[in-house]
Amino acid sequence: MRCLPNFDAAQARQAAFPRERLQERLAALRKAVEGLPMARVVERPEAQADAAAPLQGRLQGADWGLPAELPCGALNEVVAGHADRPAAFGFLFTLMVLGLDNGLDRGHAGFGLRAGPAVLVAARRALSDFGEPYGHGLAQLGLDVGRLILVETRTDKDALWAIEETLRSGARPAMVAGALAGGLDLTSSRRLNLAAAPQRTPLVLLSGAGAAGTSAAAARWRIAAAPAARDSFGALAAPRWHVALERCRLGNRRGRLMNRPMNLPGAWLIEWNHVAHRFRVVAGLAGCLADRPPAADAGLLRAG
Amino acid sequence: MLVAPGKGGPRLVALNRAARQSGLVADDLLSNARSKVLDLQVYAADPAADAAALDRLALWAMRYAPLAAPWDEASGADGLFIDITGAAHLLGGEARLLADLERRLRTFGLAPRLAIAGTPGAAWALARFGNARDHQRRQAPGPILAPGAEAEALRPLPLAALRLPDATLSLLRRLGLRRIGDVMEQPRAPLAARFEALLLRLDQALGRVPEPLVPAMPPPVYRAQAAFVEPIVSLEQVLEAATRLLGSLVDNLASDAVGARSLRLMLFRVMPEACFQHDGRVQSVEIGLAAPSRDATHIARLIGLRLERAADVLDADFGFEAAALHVLVAEPLADRQVRLTMDETTRPPEALPQLIDRLQQRLGPAAVRRLQPYESHIPERAQSPSPFELKRGEGRRVPSPLVGEGQGGGESPTSKLVVPPTPNPSPQGGGESAQRMSQWIADTPRPLLLLPRPESAEVVALIPEGPPRQFRWRGVRHQIVHADGPERIAPEWWRQSPDHAERDYYTVEDSAGRRFWLYRAGRYGRGEAPPQWFIHGVFG
Repeated sequence: MRCLPNFDAAQARQAAFPRERLQERLAALRKAVEGLPMARVVERPEAQADAAAPLQGRLQGADWGLPAELPCGALNEVVAGHADRPAAFGFLFTLMVLGLDNGLDRGHAGFGLRAGPAVLVAARRALSDFGEPYGHGLAQLGLDVGRLILVETRTDKDALWAIEETLRSGARPAMVAGALAGGLDLTSSRRLNLAAAPQRTPLVLLSGAGAAGTSAAAARWRIAAAPAARDSFGALAAPRWHVALERCRLGNRRGRLMNRPMNLPGAWLIEWNHVAHRFRVVAGLAGCLADRPPAADAGLLRAG
Repeated sequence: MLVAPGKGGPRLVALNRAARQSGLVADDLLSNARSKVLDLQVYAADPAADAAALDRLALWAMRYAPLAAPWDEASGADGLFIDITGAAHLLGGEARLLADLERRLRTFGLAPRLAIAGTPGAAWALARFGNARDHQRRQAPGPILAPGAEAEALRPLPLAALRLPDATLSLLRRLGLRRIGDVMEQPRAPLAARFEALLLRLDQALGRVPEPLVPAMPPPVYRAQAAFVEPIVSLEQVLEAATRLLGSLVDNLASDAVGARSLRLMLFRVMPEACFQHDGRVQSVEIGLAAPSRDATHIARLIGLRLERAADVLDADFGFEAAALHVLVAEPLADRQVRLTMDETTRPPEALPQLIDRLQQRLGPAAVRRLQPYESHIPERAQSPSPFELKRGEGRRVPSPLVGEGQGGGESPTSKLVVPPTPNPSPQGGGESAQRMSQWIADTPRPLLLLPRPESAEVVALIPEGPPRQFRWRGVRHQIVHADGPERIAPEWWRQSPDHAERDYYTVEDSAGRRFWLYRAGRYGRGEAPPQWFIHGVFG
């Protein structure tokens, strides 16, 4: 796919209108508008937040604590072995926390600057193995459950339809997440990429165990469970996951175009802080999948 | 003839004309009847099927007027009322309506007896006990009573025309009262002491006391109907017809400043002759909306999605000859000014409810949910499956204050002006959901995913009341490296619940780093059987 759905529109705009001329033109327009007898335009905080949103092309390292980028407006695929599905759900929900967090009272630029809800579309079979999302657990992860809309569909096909419908609607959700029972094919992943691009909606999709094939996802995150962090009393404190960024097509290309450090594949052991809404890298490449290679996972699958 | 089990054996319930001419009467014993007539065709009566057929007929009759009510038990439950107030002129007058109704009912294989009167009671009496031969002479399908003529018309009819129970009728007969006229001439006070029902029925028939009808379907608030020259068959044609009906409704909604919350599309099938037994003469789909709307394209899209979902239930058969679109619930919906600064980054307030509508129409109304905490200690009850409801500021239009008229000056717009209520983009999502957050359990660990029902697991523990060391679930053995707990959750004694065991919950982590929520139901040494272990959820 040659087209870059979220190749910087801002940059293109700037090429057409140099900054100085833009300012001039704006000032002239403001003057013209002030003379008109009309009701005032009310600026809503929501609208302001929305206006800022398109500037956020992706979730950068400093924003969430991972030394990688999470592209917005393109499909992020999350994959996990069957036994690691709960861990993948955990990662998915932490991304939703980030998507809903505008970071106002935390003193940093948030990722989710939009005021809209977060939508989780799940095929029934994707939830049948390990159960339904439980609000108390979600709240403990830091999620604002009141802003979560759950859509449960009978089939994967319906789920893909619902995700696309949500992305294409004018509702501008802060975050769209999906959970499929089966894999994702090239056509439907391309459709999702195209649907997510115009509004730069963050889109994360958890696909089933069979998902190793071709998909047009901008990034693929492979998740595996990891022993949780312990507090000083030895009790379970914060969840940890093994995260491997297996592909990052768009990030890579973007990096080269924008002359930025590239979004390279990598693997980390990360820990989620549910108060600060940040990840922390506990161990980098070396410590990650070395202690539990994916092969062990496959063995478990066979046993199950 | 139809028979039903009765006192002393099966009794006759209903007879056709041939049976009546052979001298049989209803409520006779079947054995007596057999001795009178040799070649009887006997079938078992099926009151439930009769009632269902009557309901279907009432639905079909809604093509004439929005209110059709099947007769209740006291009226014999073998007919129906149609409230044609303000509807007769659409078919060219009452006589033409009655003729049309009779013709159509005859094609169904029915022998209708029809009457039009100012009150349901009078119409019932005339249809049942009116002089049928008289009307046949005048080529009319039934009597049409002018308003105010009820008393004169009812006077010669027998008292049974007042829908009275048999016991009352026989008592009145013994008193020498046979015709309605006899009762009308009596002083009211003595009658009222003994026959309250009689006077009520009389007053209802004469229009002195209102008699509300129980409609087959709640009558709509707004309604549009169209009949087609050619029956329509395909989904596209139905959608096209519905869109046209919608177009005619939208203007009415707009002029009344309301929007539809609930709609019903009714499709009337062409019925060839002798298809009376065929099910589903009328097919209807209902459409609910998350927020009132009179946006024709949006509602048309919803109807399309709904029809797609109902495609395997809908059966056009020989085609639909008429369609009606009803607005069942309408709510106030003020006009809203389009904002000048509308561009691709602003969110139109109706976008979210419209999205929810589309999802619900295609996936079913229960598919879209929010998670709501519920005040209970039992984990599976502590979250209520609540259907989707819009929250304040999510597209329900709030009347926005008129702002900033003529307030000149160069201040920035936000500094002076009233900001209409919008969701507060604080991380907790504003006051309302912050309250909701406070209800979520925060002090004890809860799993991310909760199994629909706890699944039993084989657990090994070092000491009976101690934490588990190893468990086997779904055929896989998990070695536990860490267990937090227990958290004891006692059953709610104020509820009748099948299991009364208290549960000790442990959060455990296995050697692969996966975390589970396990519980032991009951305690050791309480009963004969050792306590059972269950997996109730998994952590992310």
